[in-house]
Amino acid sequence: MTKDVIVTQHISKTYGRPPLQVFALRETNLDIKQGDYIAIIGPSGSGKSTLMNLLGCLDKPSTGKIFIDGSDVSTLNEKELARIRREKIGFIFQKYNLIPTLNALENVELSMGFAGVDSQTRTKKAKQLLEMVELSKRLTHKPSEMSGGEQQRVAIARALANSPSIILADEPTGNVDTKSGENIMRILEDVNRKGETIIVVTHNMAIAQRAKRLLRIQDGEVREDHV
Amino acid sequence: MSRSLLTLLGIAIGIMAIISLMALGEGMQQAVTGELSSLSDVIIVSTGGGGFSTFGGGGSTSNGEYFTQRDVADIQRLQGVKEVSTQLASSGLAEYNGKTTIVSLTGMDISVMRLQYASQNLEAGGFLNEGEQNEIMIGYGIAHNTFDANISVGGRIKINGEKFFVSGIFGKQGMGGTSSDSLVLMSSRDFQKLTGQSNISLIYLRVYNVNDAESIATSIQNTINGNHGQKDFATATTMTSILKTVQSIIGILQLVLVAIASIALVVASIGIMNTMLTSVMERTREIGIMKAIGATNLDIMSIFIIEGMLVSSIGGIIGIILGVFGSQGLTMILNSYMSMGGSSRLTPIITLTSVVLAVTVSIIVGVLSSLYPAWKAARMSPIEAVRYE
Ligand SMILES: Nc1ncnc2c1ncn2[C@@H]1O[C@H](COP(=O)(O)OP(=O)(O)OP(=O)(O)O)[C@@H](O)[C@H]1O
Ligand SMILES: [Mg+2]
Repeated sequence: MTKDVIVTQHISKTYGRPPLQVFALRETNLDIKQGDYIAIIGPSGSGKSTLMNLLGCLDKPSTGKIFIDGSDVSTLNEKELARIRREKIGFIFQKYNLIPTLNALENVELSMGFAGVDSQTRTKKAKQLLEMVELSKRLTHKPSEMSGGEQQRVAIARALANSPSIILADEPTGNVDTKSGENIMRILEDVNRKGETIIVVTHNMAIAQRAKRLLRIQDGEVREDHV
Repeated sequence: MSRSLLTLLGIAIGIMAIISLMALGEGMQQAVTGELSSLSDVIIVSTGGGGFSTFGGGGSTSNGEYFTQRDVADIQRLQGVKEVSTQLASSGLAEYNGKTTIVSLTGMDISVMRLQYASQNLEAGGFLNEGEQNEIMIGYGIAHNTFDANISVGGRIKINGEKFFVSGIFGKQGMGGTSSDSLVLMSSRDFQKLTGQSNISLIYLRVYNVNDAESIATSIQNTINGNHGQKDFATATTMTSILKTVQSIIGILQLVLVAIASIALVVASIGIMNTMLTSVMERTREIGIMKAIGATNLDIMSIFIIEGMLVSSIGGIIGIILGVFGSQGLTMILNSYMSMGGSSRLTPIITLTSVVLAVTVSIIVGVLSSLYPAWKAARMSPIEAVRYE
């Protein structure tokens, strides 16, 4: 039996106060198993990003509880939350979100720096990861000197830097062309094959169909679709 | 970038002010101390309660009464007194180039003269020569503004009908204290021969042991006051006490200068804070990303504090370099203003203490002024910050 890496219990996210209250996410219960590959689809504004941000501990649910590797994140303090974000989760954004003043290598090293990894090990690992995403020739390039696809691959390398058990990717292929998108998905699937848990938000049905598990979100409510 | 540069400049100016003002103060301290401490065994006895105030002057008798030979003899008899000499004062008729005017005459031993006017710059010529007769030194005013024609070294002036040669002319005295501009200085011997008087306006003496100076000064005062039957006829001032007063005045001056520099630094630190706050705003998204990939609040804070420290310590180092040049410039201006010459020309002295102080101050300013911006950055929520456009 594989263990649950993420469990959510009745999590909701609301914005504003009644009567103008908006439910971005409603009463969501999820069990996510180690090594799973989940695609999340749904129309714009349905709550996909809201869910991802909650799972990635970037935001806190209005009600309900989230357990990551068995620990209730609502009970954690700022430092412990930072540690979860750093060590358990790798977040990949639609807009890459690299630090513009740092080059590819430094961007990948950054989160290892926060984890206290020494600089030699940091550089070695960052180079390995960038080689894995086929960017060995772009180590010293700044984000502005790279294509969207390349930037997103740097972001993937960065997400993997502290060997997290969960990769959360919110529309990772949203801003790149089909070929680059294909490349990115292939890398993520490789990572999944090595045992990593992957959750990907996408608008692309073809991509979604390749996942092991498919979640459809509509109006803040999650429904399971079997592939 | 240009914003950081401006901030840097602010710090640099503040530190420059500290360094150059401290260097100036230290320079003053050492100039005065060096000059006066070589005279630390000297006691000057003057008439009147006010005491001897300024170097290169004094000796004016307020009540028309002078010291007597008996006073001098009494002082000579005191335990611990090494040598005594006197300054004589009178007035005489001076004639040059057909014009005659009344001048005040001062007579003293040549060795004392050299001591007393050591700090005075000379416009031309030199001090009286030991053994020569009928030589005088004159002040700038006598040389240039008293007679119809300028007097130069070697010039001949008739005083009370007697011919005197000018051996040296004092430079123009600036704003400081009693003026030497109207001096006519001659040896005690010439003075007595010329005037037939020995009106003693000042008595100089040296003591064997500097530590006895204060007690000897007190007994001199008592003795002379007794001789004249007045309670405060004479004032005996030790060089050490003058030294102490001058040092404490300079100390206060230094403090004031540093206080002024601190104001510059406060302004600079407000500049840093402003720069950092803007930078935090501009980098909101970056801060969000860093938090999203696992930076703690402390990580974020240290990024901004280190940045603030870096800006301020680079500014500090530039300030120290500027301060070295600034202090040179400042003393140059001061020297030309006060037209101080010779040994009393100021030189700025940059001490290790002032450099260490400057570096420490700039680092502290950097940390303090980036504390609030750093805290603001740290408490941003990652999701808000990432969404920020
Ligand atoms: N900060 C916010 N304040 C108010 N409402 C918000 C906020 N963030 C999200 N919402 C609302 O919550 C709902 C869900 O938003 P969410 O970003 O999760 O949608 P999404 O499924 O990711 O859409 P897309 O496919 O366009 O990215 C939307 O109606 C949105 O307007
Ligand atoms: Mg979204």
